[in-house]
Amino acid sequence: MTSAYELSDITLEQQKKIILDIPQLTIESGQCLALLGENGAGKTSLINLLAFTSRANHGSIRLFNQVVPSKLKPSQRRRIGLVHQQPFLLPGTVADNIRLALSLQGVKRSQIPELTKQALVQVNLIDLADQLASTLSGGELKRVAIARAIAYQPDILLLDEPFSHLDHRHIQLLEDSINQFARQTGKTVIFSTHDRFQAQALANATINLVAGKITAAPLLNHYHGKLDQHFFNTGKMMIHVTSELTNARHLAVDPREIIVSPQPLESSMRNSFSGRLILIAEEGHAIRLTIECAERFHVIISPEALSSLNLSLGDTIWLSFKSTAVTVF
Amino acid sequence: MNYFTESLLAAFSLITSLDANIYRIVLTSVSISITATLIAALLAIPAGVAMALNTFTGKASLQHLLNTLMSMPTVVIGLLLYGLFSRLGPLGNWGLLYTPTAVIIAEAILIFPIMMNLTIAAVNSADPRLVPTLISLGARPYTLTVHVIRATRYAILAALVTGFGRAIGEVGAAMMLGGNIQGFTRTMTTAIALETSKGEFELGLALGMLLLIIAFALNFALSWLNKS
Repeated sequence: MTSAYELSDITLEQQKKIILDIPQLTIESGQCLALLGENGAGKTSLINLLAFTSRANHGSIRLFNQVVPSKLKPSQRRRIGLVHQQPFLLPGTVADNIRLALSLQGVKRSQIPELTKQALVQVNLIDLADQLASTLSGGELKRVAIARAIAYQPDILLLDEPFSHLDHRHIQLLEDSINQFARQTGKTVIFSTHDRFQAQALANATINLVAGKITAAPLLNHYHGKLDQHFFNTGKMMIHVTSELTNARHLAVDPREIIVSPQPLESSMRNSFSGRLILIAEEGHAIRLTIECAERFHVIISPEALSSLNLSLGDTIWLSFKSTAVTVF
Repeated sequence: MNYFTESLLAAFSLITSLDANIYRIVLTSVSISITATLIAALLAIPAGVAMALNTFTGKASLQHLLNTLMSMPTVVIGLLLYGLFSRLGPLGNWGLLYTPTAVIIAEAILIFPIMMNLTIAAVNSADPRLVPTLISLGARPYTLTVHVIRATRYAILAALVTGFGRAIGEVGAAMMLGGNIQGFTRTMTTAIALETSKGEFELGLALGMLLLIIAFALNFALSWLNKS
């Protein structure tokens, strides 16, 4: 498998604040990848770097094993389609917008009508070809923006928060459009989202971003705070850790590594807290429990474990996890 | 009061009788101003778009300079160009002094900073997503400039109209460099100044009214463009 992107020593600063700090990242081609993170985690900044619409202060990005010069070559630009979080359509009709993208990408004039039609069919909006862009609904606008980005048949489609501010029906239609592109051989889709379920539903891989850094830790139990000796102080509770990373500001606990019990466990586990069970939810083939301790914890257990624990909402239960289930960064 | 009313009526009759002298002056004035506006636009619009789209060292200083030039007195421009174009000046052998070309050059220089500044403002006030969208779609510097001008065309047209309005109302440089030669470099403003000093109040008034009509038409066009 070839790599679509290889990022090395990337640092992006804005107003003396580090927005992104990515020592190493390789994104293989042909996958659908979700960039998952909270607001302000650096998702949009990373998407813009991958689209080469902005530049990092330090580091390099290779595109399909090629070094990218200070200005992207037209042949490299043509391999990337970008859909902004709030796409901007130029004045004119839907088809005008797609034709503009094709002509800017240097597509031969004779091919433009066919490619325009093809792109609109792909997002199921051929009926709106002659409609004015200014009269589109939010969901239609995003799909037109996708059609515009895929019209010139790029190898990579980048989407910044494509599902924000859309109702369920439009999310479904948008997912179909993205899936249709992703199903083509070798095409890479990278989208950012703060919705973990959306990421799981569409992507076959996820990158977690926290404060501009990539972390392998799942972001379900993510807390801010500071490390003091072997304890991470979140401001509300102290969690025992093994890390000696003194400048760590974030902590994540793997929700699958937390053991739930009705009584305190006698074990070597260094972290044990009691809390009130406030939510039991189905998540894929597993069950997610939400427990209100001093901080809110999420735990993933199997349906069998749920029935054997015989839990009810409002119960006081105990959470135990090893220091090794904790990642600090 | 009688004097004023009589002059006003005489001015009306000069306008309505399609006095050839008056319309020659109007034509000279309009043609000089249109030419100056087009020359300034050809330079100021691309320069304004380029300045708005790019970040470079000294951009803030250049912006200050443009702001200063916007309020430069026209007689100062007239004075500098007079020095260049007069027989003893470095460009004296071009024979431009007291020609419409000299007035056009002066007016183009005068309105260049105004049009450039208004173009910068037009681009800066465009949707902030416009430029990133065009870049992500593959626009290169030339096509980017063309599409930014197209997207902000109404605001840029307003810059053009404002420039023209400033050029047609200009008097200091037109007097110094044009020499107010009848049928050649006599513009509406220089004619008004001359005729009034000669005591030909009605002719001055007639030209003044025509100038006001042009200014009104321009403002009307401007507000129509803004509404668009």
